[in-house]
Amino acid sequence: MMRGERDEIPPGTLEMLILTTLATGPARHGFEIAESILSISDDVLQVEEGSLYPALQRMLLKGWIQGDWGKTPENRRARFYRMTAEGRRQLGREVERYRRVARAIARVLATA
Amino acid sequence: MRFSEYWRRLAGIFGRDQAASELEEEMRLHLELRARQLRQQGLAADEAGYAARRRFGNRTALHDASARVWGWASWERLLSDFRQAFRGLLKAPGFTSVAVATLTVGLGMNVAVFSLVHAVMLQSLPYAEPGRLVSLWEESFLEQPSQFNTSGSPLGGAAAAQRTTVSPANLADYARSRKFAGLASFDLAAKNLTLLGAPERLQGEAVSANFLDLLGVKPVLGRSFLAEEDREGAAHVVIVTDYFWRQRLGSATDVLARSIMLDAQPYQVVGVLPAGFQSPYQLTDPERVEFYVPAAYPKELLSNNGRGDHEVNVVARLRPDVTVQQAEADLAVISARLGKQFPSSNWHIRASIAPLRDDIVRNVRQSLWILLGASALIVLIACVNLANLLLVRATRRQHESSVRMALGGGRSSLVRQSLAESLTLAGAGCATGLALGFVLMRLLVWLAPQSIPRIQNVAMDWQVFAAAAAVALVTGLVFGMVPAWHASQAQPAEALKTSARSTAARAQAHWRAALTAAEIALSLILLVGAGLLLRSFARAMGVDLGFQPERVLALNVNLPELRYPGTDQRLTFFEELERRVAALPGVQAAAFANRLPLRGGWSSGMNLESSPEVMLEPDFQAVSPGYFATLGIGLERGRLLARGDRKGQPNVAVVNREFARRYLQGADPIGRRFRREGEAWVTIVGVVNDIRRAGKTGRLNPQVYLPAAQTDLYPVRLADFAVRAHGDPRQLVNAVQRSVWAIDKDQPVTNIRTLEEIIGRSLAERRFEMALLIAFASVAVLLAMIGIFGVLSYIVNQRMGELGIRVALGASPPRIVGMVLRQAGWWIAVGTGLGLGGAFALARYLESLLFEVHRGDPWTYAAAVALLLAVSLTAALIPARRGARVDPMAALRYE
Repeated sequence: MMRGERDEIPPGTLEMLILTTLATGPARHGFEIAESILSISDDVLQVEEGSLYPALQRMLLKGWIQGDWGKTPENRRARFYRMTAEGRRQLGREVERYRRVARAIARVLATA
Repeated sequence: MRFSEYWRRLAGIFGRDQAASELEEEMRLHLELRARQLRQQGLAADEAGYAARRRFGNRTALHDASARVWGWASWERLLSDFRQAFRGLLKAPGFTSVAVATLTVGLGMNVAVFSLVHAVMLQSLPYAEPGRLVSLWEESFLEQPSQFNTSGSPLGGAAAAQRTTVSPANLADYARSRKFAGLASFDLAAKNLTLLGAPERLQGEAVSANFLDLLGVKPVLGRSFLAEEDREGAAHVVIVTDYFWRQRLGSATDVLARSIMLDAQPYQVVGVLPAGFQSPYQLTDPERVEFYVPAAYPKELLSNNGRGDHEVNVVARLRPDVTVQQAEADLAVISARLGKQFPSSNWHIRASIAPLRDDIVRNVRQSLWILLGASALIVLIACVNLANLLLVRATRRQHESSVRMALGGGRSSLVRQSLAESLTLAGAGCATGLALGFVLMRLLVWLAPQSIPRIQNVAMDWQVFAAAAAVALVTGLVFGMVPAWHASQAQPAEALKTSARSTAARAQAHWRAALTAAEIALSLILLVGAGLLLRSFARAMGVDLGFQPERVLALNVNLPELRYPGTDQRLTFFEELERRVAALPGVQAAAFANRLPLRGGWSSGMNLESSPEVMLEPDFQAVSPGYFATLGIGLERGRLLARGDRKGQPNVAVVNREFARRYLQGADPIGRRFRREGEAWVTIVGVVNDIRRAGKTGRLNPQVYLPAAQTDLYPVRLADFAVRAHGDPRQLVNAVQRSVWAIDKDQPVTNIRTLEEIIGRSLAERRFEMALLIAFASVAVLLAMIGIFGVLSYIVNQRMGELGIRVALGASPPRIVGMVLRQAGWWIAVGTGLGLGGAFALARYLESLLFEVHRGDPWTYAAAVALLLAVSLTAALIPARRGARVDPMAALRYE
């Protein structure tokens, strides 16, 4: 597996990606979230996949997501995360903020 | 941070072990799934597991990161700080118990006093929007416009204004002021309840129709009074209290269909009041009131002729945004206009208001502030003591701190641990303080005179709780800072150079000395205060009233103006009553007057014939001839008033000795004449001994006794009746009441008390204040003693080696004791000096409670200083003697 050049990941990006992942589809456990994020962008989790878990803890604390224990298809115990209403609002805010910044950057680049 | 996040964080603290294992399980699953995926991509099993772990990262670090998210680490540290503090305190039981006891006493006393002050003065009244309620009364100036002496200045000034109840006719004018949302009147109205069990005389109130609405109280059953029910001749209706409904009507559901017989007339029940309702009157006198009837003032009373009848209490509600000052200014305008319009009745009357809450406590406010101040001093002393103890402890641990720092312990951890220790102490002190406070509060309520308004409402509620907890927390933090700062100042190199028993703490010695001096000063302030009150009380107890209150029953027979319009009718009634009561078995003597001693009275302006230009203002009484015998007032010269001194006979009067002393420079008053403005001349025929009309602590005033039968001389309303019994005067109550009702069956008899009860009540407040201040002072002295003892013990310990050398070199034990005492001596001296100054400065707040004792009374100050010095020296002597007994060998071995 080739490693590309690593970009600095803006803080909060991981949370936003987790929220995006959880915004659609069923509740997922950690590995599924990791796989989903990897499929979107393999940069973010390339450093260490485990950093997903402290992020999940932080989001649980903030009340953006909720975790419920359940069984995987292979009948393994796993915690399935889903997005709360507060998490949906947070995602909206994040996306809005991201767009604002992106527009501003685009303007700066256009004038250069 | 949102509240819910706090909540989750807090919940997380308690579930953190489970959370960690759950996290571990999630991570394990992740690794297994990743390894399986890699295996499926063709990696070897062990290679796949390794790759999965490598991709995952450092699990321990990730666990730590998660724990950081929840903030558990600082919690763990906090817990361990407190655990360590707790263990440390347990290891020093002497220090801990003294510190906790100090806090307990300081807080406990405060909790008790604060709950009292809170219930009496701070708690809002049990009415809707109580802040807008005011009490309204009328003030009467001196009786005649000629009450100015030749120099033209008023004799009494504003202070001579006498507070009276309000005339309903005037009330109608005040009610026109736009500053009030409403004014309601209320007055006591006792009535005989019949046809409902045994006949009973019940206390009730006659109120204006808007009374309940104005207070914002709604009956739980039925309705309030209607305006048309509050008119003369309207059908009788009554609203009963919850107590009446439950106890006398058995909570009958058909209560609104019932009538009750009051004074032999049926009253339709129209409402039942909510449980716990207290009228403004009951807030000052916790007497049971069982029913309310419309006042329905007679038309005559409401006419201009009735303006002189000051009969009712008034509570008013200000309009929103109107201040007391604005309303008062408006009332002044109305009063002035009424004074011009109706000079005969109103020239000297002015309406005045005050917030209802303040007005109710006007007699006790000063004492309560003093109590609060005293208990604040106690807390201060307790805090100083605690700081002192903590400082001593910190110094003792200096060596430990230095070692810890030398080994790399952080300053912040030392500070944190020190704070944890003082907070643990504060927490323990707070808990025990609240418990003690609760006990003291019950004791306080039990001891308190019933004249303190709302005393029955004293309770420990969350506000008291919060205040105590806040005081404890602040104490813990502030005084925890002292040793914390001390710990952070530790200089490892310095401290380690010398031994564990070094005198490196000498730099802090001045701190401890200052704290001990402060403690002594504060204690002395309380001691002086208690001493001044004690002396006042002793003075008051020792006062000779001048009459014999034993076995005398006093009662009030207020003859209504409408049935007894003239002074002659009233005189006839009372003479008849006196005749009947005097004939009762067990009665030694009976008499009547406008007012008996201890029950108020009036003064009036007059001139002596010998000096007509000087306006004098003695107290005046209209009395029956038997008055002197009934009250035990002795004749000193001339003769007493006699049965023959009636209308048509020469006008005569008896005066007291003070009259002769003050107005005649001690010359014999007999045969001299005086007159009140516009009245006939009166000849003085006798002199009686002085009495203290206003009770033991009242002023001694010149007195004039006029015969009640010469009613034109002094047309006041006769209202008080006195009976001297052979035995227990209480036994005569029923017989005297029956005598009244035999003359007029509708005539209420009120305010039945023995004179001794009245005296006891008047001294009860003084006794209460004194007892409390003495208790405070004792505690203060005890705390100061603990402080001195603790500090000196410590110093002796510190100097053990030095003292050992001195003993070894031949210093005699008295010499050693003297040395140690000298060290204590100067802070005791400084503290005493400061305390004397403070006491003198603060004693002026006590002034209104003092009686015939100057606030700078040297004896009191001397006694307080002597007591404090004796106690301080005793406390100092114990450690000093221990220093003298030191065994030089043992002491030196320590080095």
